[in-house]
Amino acid sequence: MTKNNPKTIQEKIATLDELVAWFDSDNFTLETALDKFKDAETLAEEIEKDLSSLKNEIEVVKQKFDQA
Amino acid sequence: MENTINPRLTVSDFVALTNQTLEYAYPSVEVEGEVAGFKVNQGKYVFFDLKDSGASIGCFMTVWQLRQPIEDGMKIIVTATPKLTQWGKFSLTVRALRPSGEGSLKKSFELLKAKLDKEGLFAPERKRLLPALPQRIAVISSTQAAGYADFVKILNDRWGGLHVDVAQVQVQGTDAPDQIMRALKYFNAQEVLPEVIVIIRGGGSADDLSAFNDELLVRDIATSRVPTLVGVGHETDESLADLAADVRAATPSNAAQIIVPDRHEIIRSVRYKAQSVLPRTLQAIDGVRGQVQGNLGRILEAVEYQHQQSDTQLRRLRDVLAQLDPSVVLRRGYALIRGEQKVGSHIQIETHRAIIGAKVESYDEK
Repeated sequence: MTKNNPKTIQEKIATLDELVAWFDSDNFTLETALDKFKDAETLAEEIEKDLSSLKNEIEVVKQKFDQA
Repeated sequence: MENTINPRLTVSDFVALTNQTLEYAYPSVEVEGEVAGFKVNQGKYVFFDLKDSGASIGCFMTVWQLRQPIEDGMKIIVTATPKLTQWGKFSLTVRALRPSGEGSLKKSFELLKAKLDKEGLFAPERKRLLPALPQRIAVISSTQAAGYADFVKILNDRWGGLHVDVAQVQVQGTDAPDQIMRALKYFNAQEVLPEVIVIIRGGGSADDLSAFNDELLVRDIATSRVPTLVGVGHETDESLADLAADVRAATPSNAAQIIVPDRHEIIRSVRYKAQSVLPRTLQAIDGVRGQVQGNLGRILEAVEYQHQQSDTQLRRLRDVLAQLDPSVVLRRGYALIRGEQKVGSHIQIETHRAIIGAKVESYDEK
């Protein structure tokens, strides 16, 4: 992830899903598992932070609709 | 002698003057009454009488202005301009009408529902899916309405990062359908289209909600380029706008629930996912530990077996050695003779208990 191209929440969730899937895959090795687990935890914290801080931008349009 | 007090007019001038006077006095009137003699001529012109127990008046309008179906016996309210026709007939030129009273509202609703249903406007196959996670949505509502406030509260609570454009319109009354239609047209004409248009209004009486049964509005919702989500009234209310929308929400709050996921649920799910890998890892560690312990056990068993084997062999050899020990043989009564075995030689005889010197007196081969 770079500053210029930050991952969206959906992309982060997809990455987390991939990480979790790795644990059930044939590629699983105990040597790598700890690093992957740490990555998953960090990503989960990041997603939680992102989700909690997101605000909606609500704008009432200037256009008037009371006259044709 | 001519009468100079009363103006002398032509018939046409008199009709025109009367209409001018009427227009000045009653530019627009609302009249409530029962429909009688309803008919449509040439598919364009609508005629009916509006009556009550004491009077009756003819009404005229075009079919394009007739946005809620009516039939004889229905009670309606017309918004109209009184007019004297060139044939001297007094009538109301109707600009808009709406059913009045629960019975008429229901009747009008059923008539239009049947008509639009027959045209396939409510068919399930016309329905489009809403985007799973929209980035940009449009909302058509009255920003002062409680339903709008509920929608915004739930939306902000559930999700963030959305851009929401809101069109402020009336959501009840005769002007409401046109305003909502203009807002729909506005959003459908944007260069960057919203991903979904949400039309919401809180609960109200059948009359309050009747704006959402306007035929032209219902048709515009059904033909919107952008998928629509309509949440009008309470759960038990049904409007034709609901039926024409791609997705129907039971209430404005429900509309917010439909349009965005709940961030709290996602956070819970993400936490669960991250933690769910731990048991898998621990299971793998247990597996390896078990394997190592199993291997160690087998090694120990092998060593123990080898040790036992060696011990048994050693004991056997010791037994053999013990049997070969000369002192053991001597103990059994045998004797050991040392020296040259020939007659006359001095020999040494060793028994278990003594070493004896002796002289060989005879020597015979066996």
